[in-house]
Amino acid sequence: MIRIIVVLAAAFTTFTFWTCTQSESRNYVSIVGSSTVYPFAAVVAEQFGRTTRFRTPILESTGSGGGIKLFCSGVGLEHPDIANASRRIKKSEVDRCRENGVNEIIEVKIGYDGIVLASSRKNPPMSISRKDIFLALAKEIPDLSGAEKLIANPHKTWKDVNSSLPDTKIEVLGPPPTSGTRDAFVELAMEGGAKTFSWIKDLKKKDKSRYKAICHTIREDGAFIEAGENDNLIIQKLEANPDAVGIFGFSFLEQNTDKIQGSSVDGFEPNFGSIAKGDYPVSRPLFMYVKKSHVGVIPGIKNYIEEFTSDKAWGEDGYLADKGMIPMPKEEREKYYNDARYLVPIEIK
Amino acid sequence: METNESTGQKGFQTVGETKVENPRMTCRDVNVYYGDKHAIKHVGIDIGRNQVIAMIGPSGCGKSTFIRCLNRMNDTIPRCRVTGEILLDDTNIYDRDIDVVPLRAQVGMVFQKPNPFPKSIYDNVAYGPRIHGLAQNKAELDEYVETSLKRAGLWEEVKDRLDHSGTSLSGGQQQRLCIARTIAVSPEVILMDEPCSALDPIATAKIEGLIDELRTHYTIVIVTHSMQQAARVSQRTAYFHMGDLVEVGITDKVFTNPRHKLTEDYITGRFG
Amino acid sequence: MNNSEYKQKALDKSSSGRTIEMVNKSLSRRYKAERRFRRYGQVAIIISLGFLCLLFISIISKGYPAFYQTFIQIDVFLDPDVLPKDKLSTANYPGLIKKSLSSEFPEVELRREKKQLYGMVSIGAYYQIRKMVMKNRDMIGTTQTVWVPVDDDIDMLAKGHIDRNTPELERRVKDIQLAWFDRWDKAGKIKKRFNTTFFTSGDSREPEMSGIWGAMAGSLYVLVVTLLLSFPIGVAAAVYLEEFASKSRWVDLIEVNINNLAAVPSIVFGLLGLAIFINFFGLPRSAPLVGGLVLTLMTLPIIIIASRAALQSVPPSIRQAALGVGASKMQTVFHHVFPLALPGILTGTIIGISRALGETAPLLMIGMVAFIVDVPGSFTDPSTVLPVQIYLWADSPERAFVERTSAAILVLLALLIATNFLAVLLRNRFERRW
Repeated sequence: MIRIIVVLAAAFTTFTFWTCTQSESRNYVSIVGSSTVYPFAAVVAEQFGRTTRFRTPILESTGSGGGIKLFCSGVGLEHPDIANASRRIKKSEVDRCRENGVNEIIEVKIGYDGIVLASSRKNPPMSISRKDIFLALAKEIPDLSGAEKLIANPHKTWKDVNSSLPDTKIEVLGPPPTSGTRDAFVELAMEGGAKTFSWIKDLKKKDKSRYKAICHTIREDGAFIEAGENDNLIIQKLEANPDAVGIFGFSFLEQNTDKIQGSSVDGFEPNFGSIAKGDYPVSRPLFMYVKKSHVGVIPGIKNYIEEFTSDKAWGEDGYLADKGMIPMPKEEREKYYNDARYLVPIEIK
Repeated sequence: METNESTGQKGFQTVGETKVENPRMTCRDVNVYYGDKHAIKHVGIDIGRNQVIAMIGPSGCGKSTFIRCLNRMNDTIPRCRVTGEILLDDTNIYDRDIDVVPLRAQVGMVFQKPNPFPKSIYDNVAYGPRIHGLAQNKAELDEYVETSLKRAGLWEEVKDRLDHSGTSLSGGQQQRLCIARTIAVSPEVILMDEPCSALDPIATAKIEGLIDELRTHYTIVIVTHSMQQAARVSQRTAYFHMGDLVEVGITDKVFTNPRHKLTEDYITGRFG
Repeated sequence: MNNSEYKQKALDKSSSGRTIEMVNKSLSRRYKAERRFRRYGQVAIIISLGFLCLLFISIISKGYPAFYQTFIQIDVFLDPDVLPKDKLSTANYPGLIKKSLSSEFPEVELRREKKQLYGMVSIGAYYQIRKMVMKNRDMIGTTQTVWVPVDDDIDMLAKGHIDRNTPELERRVKDIQLAWFDRWDKAGKIKKRFNTTFFTSGDSREPEMSGIWGAMAGSLYVLVVTLLLSFPIGVAAAVYLEEFASKSRWVDLIEVNINNLAAVPSIVFGLLGLAIFINFFGLPRSAPLVGGLVLTLMTLPIIIIASRAALQSVPPSIRQAALGVGASKMQTVFHHVFPLALPGILTGTIIGISRALGETAPLLMIGMVAFIVDVPGSFTDPSTVLPVQIYLWADSPERAFVERTSAAILVLLALLIATNFLAVLLRNRFERRW
């Protein structure tokens, strides 16, 4: 028995030494970031790995904020080369990058994602406005009489919100606060709805934190149900309960059109055309940030970006569109293709 | 009968003959403490060569504790402290530079409950010679095993199944196997802590007979609950009471003519 | 006759009849309570078995189809013009297949329809043709009949997961594709085969090309590291604490800490691993080595606690016996106590390892929750593990990943059952009676 333990201990030490000498190089691209961008970046990475002499990039789904934090933690092999984000990088994040020596960042906008409010096909499709969304889901809403004060949200059914909507209970399944989809939904739909009240809009300049609190706080009395990060689960629940409404990314609607349908918002249905044109209001751009100092050090970064920005990937008929990403218009694509190609770093405002 | 602890003086005088000619072991003023409890009080006794000395006394009197001092088995008990001198052939076994491993080879021990290793009969007996490196080769080891089993009176019963597990034997056989295991390392003294308390009368008789035979080679200290057993197997008897050594003497004399009142009460069955 | 005997007799006389009556009276109540208790136990077991069956039935019925993949037979002309000998690796393989499909359905001319036709075959087909050509260059210039995997939507259609009655607009497979599929099916060119890809390749965004092998290899590497480190360290710590360390305040403190560590949420170990192994020692992210180290931290307390319990359960008489014939402390422990405790130690180790096998949370922090296509080949290659793969697939929008998720769960369950079976085997092998 003692002999076995001695052998194991010896194996362990040699093993440690061996690995310490091993870990000096990295020959694959390391990508981190948004879970919304993850399925698209994964397709590109796989395509890239299979058709070039480079190894397949490693892609971690960390969420936009977490990804940028990792990305900004420094220059060197142990830090990622590319960060995906479902929102633009913030000034504070760029500063943080600077502090850690990451000075030149290339920004590539890769397309759009729509956030849809979808329900089961068993009921007729809804048509709602952002104002309706705000009035249905905010924790506190402006007094119904029109006075400039807030009351706790009294609405129980969609009909209470807007008489043209069906008389069903408000029951919305949405992502938890940790999700980028939630951030975008709150910012685009809720805030958009809140702004239709002029006094709230005015508040933005006078008392920003109060303005944010009004726009961004979702009710907690059971009408909004946090359904976790798994969007497939939300779809299953919508099938089981036709009166419920789910909030998730466009790609899930795209893959499940036989079970669920998207509600039109402000008169626009969620589809490729309306999102790409910018008509559908609850949509957001998707970004990819590249560390310039790593280009040329880690093999394959440039080629990966080239694959991503080629028309067969992000074009109107590209394979990313098949996966549910909404392509940018041609001019925008050209601008970002050139930025990426000549490695133009972003200006920090 | 109370020990006068405040003065550190021995408050109790053992009656009888504590000393013998040319002893194998000599104990002088031995005290054992379990934490604050004074379990053995100022015991002084000689253990003579090639004879059996029996330790008797009521439960909790300290007789087991005392013989466990003789091969320092008490060392394994936390918070147990031993003071005084115990000489084995003029060496104090509690000296700082004494190694307990060879000591326990010299002073072997047989326990109350038969505790063979869950290994074969052969390995049980061969274990001691193996770890001490007594045998140069397989043949010598075989001889150790055979001699020991023969001395323990077990050879005829097990010689055809030495590879069977030691735990497959009956209780009495197991205890004799434990004795064989102890004598395989050729100890000078064998300590037996109530070796027959878990055995039936027939097995007990066999062990008692064995003890009598072993006396020619070894010095034996036996702790027993049974006064009849003490009378049958021992040459000298020591009576313990509440941690004190009350009386020591030739067995016949102790049993027929006890000199101390406590001994008399115990032997006549007043208590215990 | 002394006093107590006398009293006993009196008691017997006066109440012997009544005692037995009272006993009989209470007897039926006591038996009833016993029966009731037994029934509770049986009900509990039936309920838990029921849930287990439900789980297995749902996972097996969902996951079983993933072990089969639909293939389609096509004739591909390996055009020497498209396949220049010096540029075989980058040649236009999609073009070859597209040409073959077009020649089968010459009536398809609309661009949109062509795209739908080409979309019926998995892109895996291109890689398959490429591999075939690179392996055997003599094929160039000939026409080969090959079975290639179909796209995941068509696979779902073949497996009956797509309802043909829903309106075309709401269906992922269009009417025209249905017609093509039926034509192929009639001609006997559609076949379901065992899905070897699932067991031989890494992750993929295309369900029909995705496999579990990458994650399994990752799990294997991680477990090797975990086992190699946690078993000797854990057992050594347990043996030292149980057999050698003298009881002191420090040992008590260590004991309390180990017990607390066993209850720490696993994600905390992930954070620790990130801070120490990656940020301080500079080990690579996403590597099984780091994953193994983190899971070692997690399983160590489990192994130590189980090993100590196993050592404690060895009867003290065995220790005394060994010490009594003059064995040293070390010999006593390693010749007698340790072998007797080994079955218990092994059981504890396997429990710890099984827990490590099913863990995702700590791996999130060290970058093992990642999309990794290449099957890892060493302890420092980026890789993922089985439960992470399940998590990633469960979160993928494509319908075909639903069955793959269940199939991956089946594989994980099979592995867990295998390790537990191994534990039982080992235990029986080492178990000894005393």
